[in-house]
Amino acid sequence: MSNTRPVWLLIVSRAAAALLGGYAFSYAATAFLARVLPMPAVDAVIVASLPSFAFYTCAFLWAFASRDALRAWWPAALAVPLAAVGFWPQLWSL
Amino acid sequence: MKNTFTQSMAWLHTWAGLIFGWLLFAIFATGTLAVFDSEIDNWMRPEVRSHDLTQLQAAQRGLAYLTQHAPGASNWNISLPDARSPGLQVASGERRRGGGTALDPHTGEPIEVRETAGGSFFFRFHFTLNLPRNWGIFVVGALAIVMLVGLVSGIVIHKKIFKEFFTFRPGKGQRSWLDFHNASAVLLLPFHLMITYTGLVIFLLIYMPAAVDALFEGDNQAYYKAQGEQRLLTPRAALKQPAALVDLAPVLASAQERLGAISSIGISNPGTAAARIEVRPTLGYRIALSKGQAMVFDGVSGELLRDVPDMRPAVLTQRVMAGLHFAQFGGYPMRWLYFVCALVSTAMIGTGLVLFCVKRRRKYASASVSAQRWYKVAESFNVAFVAGLMLACAGLLWANRLLPVELAQRANWEVKAFFAVWLLSLLHAGLRPAQRAWAEQLGLAAVLCIGLPVLGALTAQHDPAHRVLEATSVVLGGLLAYAAWRCVAPREEKPARKRATVAVEGQ
Repeated sequence: MSNTRPVWLLIVSRAAAALLGGYAFSYAATAFLARVLPMPAVDAVIVASLPSFAFYTCAFLWAFASRDALRAWWPAALAVPLAAVGFWPQLWSL
Repeated sequence: MKNTFTQSMAWLHTWAGLIFGWLLFAIFATGTLAVFDSEIDNWMRPEVRSHDLTQLQAAQRGLAYLTQHAPGASNWNISLPDARSPGLQVASGERRRGGGTALDPHTGEPIEVRETAGGSFFFRFHFTLNLPRNWGIFVVGALAIVMLVGLVSGIVIHKKIFKEFFTFRPGKGQRSWLDFHNASAVLLLPFHLMITYTGLVIFLLIYMPAAVDALFEGDNQAYYKAQGEQRLLTPRAALKQPAALVDLAPVLASAQERLGAISSIGISNPGTAAARIEVRPTLGYRIALSKGQAMVFDGVSGELLRDVPDMRPAVLTQRVMAGLHFAQFGGYPMRWLYFVCALVSTAMIGTGLVLFCVKRRRKYASASVSAQRWYKVAESFNVAFVAGLMLACAGLLWANRLLPVELAQRANWEVKAFFAVWLLSLLHAGLRPAQRAWAEQLGLAAVLCIGLPVLGALTAQHDPAHRVLEATSVVLGGLLAYAAWRCVAPREEKPARKRATVAVEGQ
């Protein structure tokens, strides 16, 4: 990002990447895990969901630690393929 | 945001810590009080007297009352007294749990109990901030994530963690605040992480429905069904057949042998051959949260129809995590341990907030007018969200005893008093110089806490069961008084003044 943008805009962008992008990432990662874990669905739900808040925390920190404001959105971008795997039966039936 | 990883984490820790720390302090402080929610409840309902009847004796009083007053009801519920709470309550009809009529466990006659927000106000505030339930849960959940972020970024910026175990330099202004913030964070880091994470786990599927969405099409009912939750069907034919209820004594005894203390007994279709007795344990009979679990007995033969279900390992893991947050296991020693740890967590957040302002006091003194105005806002919010909240909590207990007992909507008025005190504290903090505002609000909170036993003795018949709560309140009041005194004692300026004199001499 160039330095000409106002500081508050960069902060808002990173905060949005942290809160919204971070949630999208942890949501997709949880769906992905639940789908691929080799165990009965009832157990997979909990085993995949329990670490979801750790995923969220990592994505949140990433949004503020990344070198520029665009990279802050990487976890959100990563959510797309993860969600595609997690929800492939639903996507297939569309 | 900044050049290096550590710098960007420090920036995040500082600003997220300030903006969200205000509400996090309120969540942690009320959570600390919620550890003793039943005990606070008892204090706020002085009409419910302590006694030493057994659970069976109390259950039989409740049963006698329901047999006489609600013979045709489809459901009866009896909430039993236990080690923490002396109250006996009965309810009938569709409203199965909570509320109902309070009975004197000695005579089985109804007693007038004041309407009050009760200690459960702190419990509800702790996870909803008194917002509409679903909104509140999500706001508090988001704050919990920020808390995790604060903890992890705090670890990153303090690399000398081991050294900080042993570092405390009191009476040195900013240094001391930083030392206390670090030491309290590092010493109880496992507790801070545990309590925050397990708090999120309680509402796991509400916060993170992704897995249920992916595997069960978002259908929670289907998911719980797959968990093997079996429902006992009511034998329809037996509903019309009158039959006498089995003696409660052997049923209760076998349930107590299996589960320990009982929280409540539900009887469905009493007086018919289809009667069922559901016996529910207190939450703390094991670490795993046992909410919703029960032993079900046949109401006529007394035969056990369903034991408390075994949990699958995954479910058990989640329940144990939730149970670690609820802190209902291990009796009073564990409860006190949680209380002390939670006090330290609360103090850690509080000192972090104070540190923000202490660190910037000199810098902002020479800053522009708008920057100074912003600094004053941050300072006032600090006073109101830390000292003001504690004042409001103590104020709720005072309102409970001072508002007239017959007041309509009394519980609401208590809650209004809580928020009124909080709002007034913000107003006061905005009008007074920061140091004075701190001292005055902490001092007033101390007076309210220390005065609690006097208020208790003047406004209700003395009950020895309230002594521990009142003694604890006096101790906390003492700590608040000490904090207030330190605010006005002119110690922080000393090193600064010395340096200033040296500078003057050097000129």
